[in-house]
Amino acid sequence: MDSIYWPSFFFWLFSGVACTFALGVLLSKNIVRMAFYLVISLASTSGLFFLAGADFVGAMQLMIYVGGTLVLLIFGVMLTSQDRFVEMRTSSGEWVIAFFIGLMLFFTLGRAAFGVAAWKGLDRETAEAVEVERTVTPLAMGLLGARVDQLDEPDAAKREGMSGYLFHFEIVSVHLLVVLIGAAYLARAKRKTGSVAANA
Amino acid sequence: MSSLIDDPRVIEFDVRTDEMLVNMGPQHPSTHGVLRLALRTDGEIISEVTPHMGYLHRCAEKIGENLTPRQWIPYTDRMDYLAAMNMNLGWALTTEKLLKYEPPEKARHLRVIICELGRIASHLVGMGTYGIDLGSFSPFLYAFREREKILDLFEEACGARLTYSYITPGGATADLPVGWTQKCLEFLDQFEPVIAEYHTLLTTNAIFIKRTANIGVMSPEMAIDFGTSGPVLRGSGISHDLRRDGEEIYTAMYDGYAFEVIAQQNGHYPKDHNYPPVPKEAVLGDCWHRFYVRMLEVMQSIDLARQGIERYHAATDGYGEPLKLKTKLPKGEVYLETECPKGQMGFYLVSDGSDIPWRTRARSSSFSNLSVCEPLCRGCLIADIPAIIGSLDIVMGEIDR
Amino acid sequence: MAAFLSEYTWTWLAYIIAAMIHVGLIINLVAVAALVFIWLERKISGRIQDRLGPTRVGGKFGWLQTLADGLKLITKEDLCPDGADRFLFKIAPYVSFCAAIGAFIAIPFAGGAYPWIAQHLNTGVFFVLAVLGLEVFGVILAGYSSASKWSLFGAMREAAQVVSYEVPLGMCVVVPVMIAGSLDMVVIGDQQAGWFTNWLVFHDPFTFITAFVYFTCAMASVNRAPFDLAEAESELVAGFHTEYSGLRWSFFFMAEYGSMFSVSILASVLFFGGWNGPVPITDLLGLSGAEVGTLSWAVAQALGLANVLLKGLLGVCLMIWVRWTLPRLRIDQVMTTCLKYCTPIAAAMFLGATLWQYNFPGRAFFNLIPMSDAVLEVSEGWEVESNDPDEEEEQIARGPEETGGLL
Repeated sequence: MDSIYWPSFFFWLFSGVACTFALGVLLSKNIVRMAFYLVISLASTSGLFFLAGADFVGAMQLMIYVGGTLVLLIFGVMLTSQDRFVEMRTSSGEWVIAFFIGLMLFFTLGRAAFGVAAWKGLDRETAEAVEVERTVTPLAMGLLGARVDQLDEPDAAKREGMSGYLFHFEIVSVHLLVVLIGAAYLARAKRKTGSVAANA
Repeated sequence: MSSLIDDPRVIEFDVRTDEMLVNMGPQHPSTHGVLRLALRTDGEIISEVTPHMGYLHRCAEKIGENLTPRQWIPYTDRMDYLAAMNMNLGWALTTEKLLKYEPPEKARHLRVIICELGRIASHLVGMGTYGIDLGSFSPFLYAFREREKILDLFEEACGARLTYSYITPGGATADLPVGWTQKCLEFLDQFEPVIAEYHTLLTTNAIFIKRTANIGVMSPEMAIDFGTSGPVLRGSGISHDLRRDGEEIYTAMYDGYAFEVIAQQNGHYPKDHNYPPVPKEAVLGDCWHRFYVRMLEVMQSIDLARQGIERYHAATDGYGEPLKLKTKLPKGEVYLETECPKGQMGFYLVSDGSDIPWRTRARSSSFSNLSVCEPLCRGCLIADIPAIIGSLDIVMGEIDR
Repeated sequence: MAAFLSEYTWTWLAYIIAAMIHVGLIINLVAVAALVFIWLERKISGRIQDRLGPTRVGGKFGWLQTLADGLKLITKEDLCPDGADRFLFKIAPYVSFCAAIGAFIAIPFAGGAYPWIAQHLNTGVFFVLAVLGLEVFGVILAGYSSASKWSLFGAMREAAQVVSYEVPLGMCVVVPVMIAGSLDMVVIGDQQAGWFTNWLVFHDPFTFITAFVYFTCAMASVNRAPFDLAEAESELVAGFHTEYSGLRWSFFFMAEYGSMFSVSILASVLFFGGWNGPVPITDLLGLSGAEVGTLSWAVAQALGLANVLLKGLLGVCLMIWVRWTLPRLRIDQVMTTCLKYCTPIAAAMFLGATLWQYNFPGRAFFNLIPMSDAVLEVSEGWEVESNDPDEEEEQIARGPEETGGLL
C-alpha cells in the first residue's frame, strides 16, 4: 500500500498486545508473571481508549486500573505467595469447562459487536473525516448532573429525563468509602499484647 | 542474655506471624565498626537483639604480658582509636599508680589539654556518625572538618594523626612544640561558634528530634545495673563523672579546674553556657538526651582546654620524661578507671616484680554500654536500631580489644 | 507537527517523522537533564558539605563526570541473581524508566496558540499523574525479583509510600486546575501570562500553601530524602536495587531524576507560571502576538522554554538541597505525615481555594489586582448569567466552544 493508516495500525498493535498478554495471563504458570502480564494488557487497553479520542477514560484506566487496582493485586500476590515461584497448575477438566464458557462469551460478544449497524461499513475516508471530540467537559458536567452532550436531543421529554449521573456518582463514592474503611478495618494488625515483652 | 538463635532455615516466611531473623552487619555504613546484630523481628517490631562481637579482637591483653608498660602504649591507642589520647592516659596513670609516681605539674596540665581535645575529637565523630545513621550526611563532614584541625594539632605534638602513643607513664613523649598552644587557642576560638551549626542541623532539628526523642529510654536503675558509663549513664540523669568522683590519682589531675558534670539534675542541665533548650518530646534517658550530653560536654572540654593552656604556661617544671624502658614494676596489682569520651575505661595491671606485667586487662566502657542495647531495642521498630546503637557511641576496637 | 510535515511528504511518513522528532527531543532532554542533575547533585552536595565535588573529568568543574560514570556503568558485568525471575528482573528498570519519561509526553514546554508539547491532551495533568504513578511497578518488580525476602519488604514499603502520597499530590494538583478551570496544562500556563502577580501561587493564600504541600508530596512521591527511608534502612539489609549493577541500575537512577524533573516542571507550570517569566519579556520586546512560524515567534517560545527548564532546574536544586540537609524520617513517620498532615491540609486548602475562587473570580495576586484582559479571555467561558437551568446548560455547553478550545 502506498500509505499507512495509522489509527488502524495502532488499533491492531494495542489490541494485539492486550489480547496476547491476556492469553499470557491464562497460560502462564507463575502467579507473579500473570499479574505483570495483566498490567501490560490493561495498559494496552488504555492505549485503545486514547486512540478512540477518549483521553479522560484512557488516563483513568491508567491511573485507576493500572496504577491502583493492579498495584494492589501485585502487592497481594507478592506478599501471600508461599513459595517464591508458585506453580499454578490447572487440571484438564478445568481447561475444558473454561474453554467452553469462554467460547460462549466470545460468541455473545462477537455477535453483539458485529451486530451494531453504526459500526459497520466504515471506509477510510469517512473515518479520517471524523472529528475527534473533546469530551472531558461533557463528561465532567454529566457527572455533576448536567447532560450537556444531549442538548441537541429533539425530543423534549427525553431531554428532561436525562438528568445526569450525579446521584450514581455519589452512590459509588460512598460505596468506595465504605469499602476503604472496611478494608482498613479488616486488615488492621491485631497486635498480640504481652508476647513481645514476655522474654524479659 | 545468651538466647539461642534458631537455624534461620527453619523459620517459615508467613505474612501473618512474621518472626524473621535478620542480620545486620558486620559491615556497617557508619563507623561503629564490625558489629554483627542478629535481630529477631515480629513483623516490624524487634523482639530480640543479640550483638555478636569479636570481629576486631587482636589479643591486645595477651600481648601485654610480653611487653613493658611503655611498649604496650601503642596497643591502647588501637583500642578506642577515635580517642587514643585518653586511652594512653588511662594506661599511663595505671602504671604511675603502681609505681606511685607523680608526674610534674606541667605534664599534668599538658595531659588535661590533650585529653580534653581528644574528648572533643571523639564526640565530633560520635555526633557525625549519628547524623549519618539517621540520614543526615552534612554534619558528618562538618564535624570531620573540625576534627581535622584537632588532628593537625596532635600531629604537630607527636607526629601521628590517629594512634599517638603520646601520653606515657611518666608524662608525655615530648613537650608541646613552640606556638602549639597559640594555635590551639585559635582553634578553640574558631570552633565555639561552629557548634551552633551542629545544633541547628541535629540537636534542635525537628526530624532529628522525631527520630531520637522517646526512643531507647533507659531508666537510671537500668543504667546502673548494666554498668553503663559516660554520656550513656549521664543521659539518664545520673551525675557521675570520674573526673570529679573518681580515684584520687585521677581527680588530682583535674585539681583546680572548673567544669560542670553534664547530667540533668532536678530537671535541668547546667546553665554555665547558652545551651539549646530541651524539646518537650525528649524523655530523660532517651537517645536525644545521650546525644545532648555529648554536645554539652564538648563545650565543657573547650573550657577545660583553655584553662589547661593557661596553667600549662604558668607551670615551670618539665613535661615529664617517660620512664625508662626497663623500669622494674613493684609487685602488686592496680586497677584504675578514667573518664574517657565513651565512658569509664579501666586498666588493670598485675605485676610480679619484673619489668613486664604478669597480666594486663582493659575494661572497656563500650562493652558495658553495648550490653544495654539488648533490653533497649526490645519492642522498638527496626528503623530505631541505628538510632539506639548510634546513641550509645560504641567503638568496636574498644569492645574487642 | 504531523500536519505541517504532511505538506512535504506522504501523510503516513509525516506521522512517523513527527513522532520520532518528539520522542527524540524528549529522550534527549530527559537523559541530558539526568546527566546534568547527577553532576549538579554531586557538586551541590559537595558544597553543602564544605568540599568541592567532582573536579577532574572535563576541566575544572568536572562537567563530564557523569559521562565517565555512565561509561563505567556500561562496562560493568550484567548480573542476574541465581534465584531471581529473569524476565521480571530484566524488565523492571525499563518499566520505571518508561514511566518516568512517558510523563513528558504531555508536559508543555512553551505555550500559546501552538504550544511546544509532544501531545496536546486536554487531560494533560491527569495523564501526567497517571503515568507517574506507573513508576511504582518498576520498584515492586525489582524488589520481588531480587530473590530476597528483605528486599521484597523494602520495595513494598517504598511502593506503599509512593502510592499513598499520590492522594495528597492529586489533591494539591486539583487546586490550580480548579482555579484555571481546565486540566489542560497549556491553558493553565497561559492563564499565568504577564507579570509574576498572575502566577497561581500568588492567587490566594490557599494556593500559596498548596504549592509547598505539593512540593513536599512530590518529594515523597519520588522517594527523595527526607522520605528515602526504604533505600537507607535497606542499606543495612538489602534495598530494592541492590542486585542491579551497571546499566540496569543506571536506568533506575535516570528514572528517579527524570521523575524529579517532571514533578518540578509540573510544579512550575501549575503554580509558578510555567513558560511565563516574572517579567513579561516577550511583551516588552514586542515579540508576543507574532505569527506562528516566524522567527520572532520562535524566539518568544524559546524564552518560554528557557523559563520552564530553569524553573524545573530550580525545583530539582531545592530537592537536592533538602536531601543533604535533613535527616531521614522513619516509615511510620512518613505515613503519618501523609495521612495526618498532607492529606487534610491539601483538602482544607482545596476547600479554601474553592471558596476564594467562588467569591473573587477573575482576580489575581491575593485579590489585589484584576486579571489582565488577555488572561480573562482564556477563563471567561465560565461565566454563566442566566438562572434558568436549561439556558444555563446551554451557556455552559457553548462557553468552551465560543472561547475556542478551552477544554
